[in-house]
Amino acid sequence: MTFPSLPRDWKTFFLRHEMLLLYVLIAEWLFFYFAGTTTNRRGIVVGFGTLDRQFDILRHSCEIGLLALALTPVILTGGIDLSVGSLLGLCAVVFGKLWQDGGVSIPVAIALTLCSGALAGGFNAVLITAARLPPLIVTLGAYSLYRGLAEAMTRGSVTYTGFPDGFLFLGQERWLGMPTQAWVFLAVAGLVWVLVHRTTYGRTFRVIGFSPEGARFAGLPVARRLGLVYVLAGVIAATAAIIYTARLGQAKADAGLGYELFAITAVVLGGSSIFGGVGSVHGTLLGVAAIAVLKNGLATLPLVMRLNAAEEFSGLLTGALLLLALAAGVLAKKLWRRGSGAHATATALEPPKTA
Amino acid sequence: MKRYFRELSVAAVLFFVLALLAVLAPAFYEPQPLLSLLTREAPTLVLASGMAVVMIARQIDISVGSQFSICSVSAGLLAAAHWPVGWVLLASIGLGAALGAINGLLIAGLGLPSIVVTLAMMVTLRQGLNLVRQGEFVTLPDGLQWLGLNQAAGQFALILATLGLVAILAFALRHLVAGRVVYAVGSDPEAARLAGLRPQLVTFLVFVVMGALVGLAALMNVVQSPQVQPLTGTGLELKVIAAVVVGGVAISGGRGHLWGVVAGLLLLACVSPALIHLRVEAHWEKAVQGGIILLAAAADGLRVRGRRDRAGT
Repeated sequence: MTFPSLPRDWKTFFLRHEMLLLYVLIAEWLFFYFAGTTTNRRGIVVGFGTLDRQFDILRHSCEIGLLALALTPVILTGGIDLSVGSLLGLCAVVFGKLWQDGGVSIPVAIALTLCSGALAGGFNAVLITAARLPPLIVTLGAYSLYRGLAEAMTRGSVTYTGFPDGFLFLGQERWLGMPTQAWVFLAVAGLVWVLVHRTTYGRTFRVIGFSPEGARFAGLPVARRLGLVYVLAGVIAATAAIIYTARLGQAKADAGLGYELFAITAVVLGGSSIFGGVGSVHGTLLGVAAIAVLKNGLATLPLVMRLNAAEEFSGLLTGALLLLALAAGVLAKKLWRRGSGAHATATALEPPKTA
Repeated sequence: MKRYFRELSVAAVLFFVLALLAVLAPAFYEPQPLLSLLTREAPTLVLASGMAVVMIARQIDISVGSQFSICSVSAGLLAAAHWPVGWVLLASIGLGAALGAINGLLIAGLGLPSIVVTLAMMVTLRQGLNLVRQGEFVTLPDGLQWLGLNQAAGQFALILATLGLVAILAFALRHLVAGRVVYAVGSDPEAARLAGLRPQLVTFLVFVVMGALVGLAALMNVVQSPQVQPLTGTGLELKVIAAVVVGGVAISGGRGHLWGVVAGLLLLACVSPALIHLRVEAHWEKAVQGGIILLAAAADGLRVRGRRDRAGT
């Protein structure tokens, strides 16, 4: 794993973050494996350890997982994209409208939807790089704008349904044993991982996150790289929209509402610093998995089943887990600094990248 | 004049929209719907004032929507248990301040980024409330709605109270030491520290104030209806942040005026009725609001660039 510009102690620290998350994930899984097995009212065993259940978890985490993958490079550069959830909704509606009202074939509709995702991401990119506006504000506006366009296109009520079986195969069936969309998810994850961790191109994201000015003085085309990151986020959000539509068999304006916050949570839980420069794609994947296993596993606990409150418990625990991970990170840093005898000059208000 | 250019431009746009409505759709100015619109937006304005203070201090609070719901439900339950209104008000403000203090401790005490802490708090508080209440409505006792006044008087009272509060806050922020300190910390925490201020304490207190204002806004919202709907605050945070940004508060801290925020909020609030009166489909509301946010941001960008060009860098 590559953290080229970090001193060695930092390197071990962040390796440890991802390892810690892996331990948490394994502990979660084992806990649910032993505590979650139960029978439902019809006498069918609803175990957690079954392969079907694992595939179910995978199937249901694909969309948020894709958005988290889209956000990882963005957050690495020190930016943020609040608009991915809204863009998912807009792309789902665009796809449904193209197919139902536009009368184009499914492959063409998919291609055009991916293009509109790129276009929307490009719109963010232009405002952020050419007009040099803060990403938080731009994507907050886009959050409203894209959801609003989706609502306007459907007049707030139209739902596109009746997609052909060949398309629903993508979201509801299996291919080579795995849920079909999981192959897409893994392919995108692989591509983003290679881009971020194995190309000089992707390494510049990290450099920009550490110091945009430094990156510029080093001769990197900061604007172009930033632009690519937001366009990529748009394309991946469009991919998520297609998978979402295929899984539910319908496209509505409220698709993906609130997903951006879950995706950001997964990325930050995965060890990315919100200030940029620090983070990894595998960390993000672990973060997504930790949240997905928690949510799905809780649903198999007898107590939670009786209360019918899986969503509430998982949200509560995800939030708590995120706060714990952050607090543990800060405390570990303080201990490390004391242990190595380094002089602690940073004030608490400074972002960690300057420490 | 130049100093207030950003605020004045928002006010000018608002004035233009209002003038347009006066010509094309005089029905917009019928007193009762207008009064209702203003009353509906009054709690949001209180929240936006708090958010402006938070953002001037270079922080952000995404958990206000969840805090709002918790305070609303708690206030409703206390009122249903026949607490007097005054005590309900105090309890609601106190609860909000306590929730804000948790944010403040994590952000100022541990030095965690506010956007992530309040994001986690948003999810935790929201799901905690859902878990305890299962989405149940709270039915309020008679006499709480409009504080026992008739509707028009209650609406006037709420609007006047809001304007008074915002005026006091605006004055304090610009002219009292307690307010100037917020600008100092937001402009440059390190410089503020070297000047003898305590940025961590200021940050903590800013979140406590935000929480207290959430508690107040929640009660102002509760008294407008016979029931408390636990999902009322969902998505409120982004609406409030949008109003603050349109009103000219810089996300990078240290800049902004509350009266700009008032204009920004009113502008966003006018979109929906304006669309209806101008016979555009109401579904365009969010898209138009998004466009306004982006335009406001673009105006900021141009101004900053203009300054940079003049400085010759």
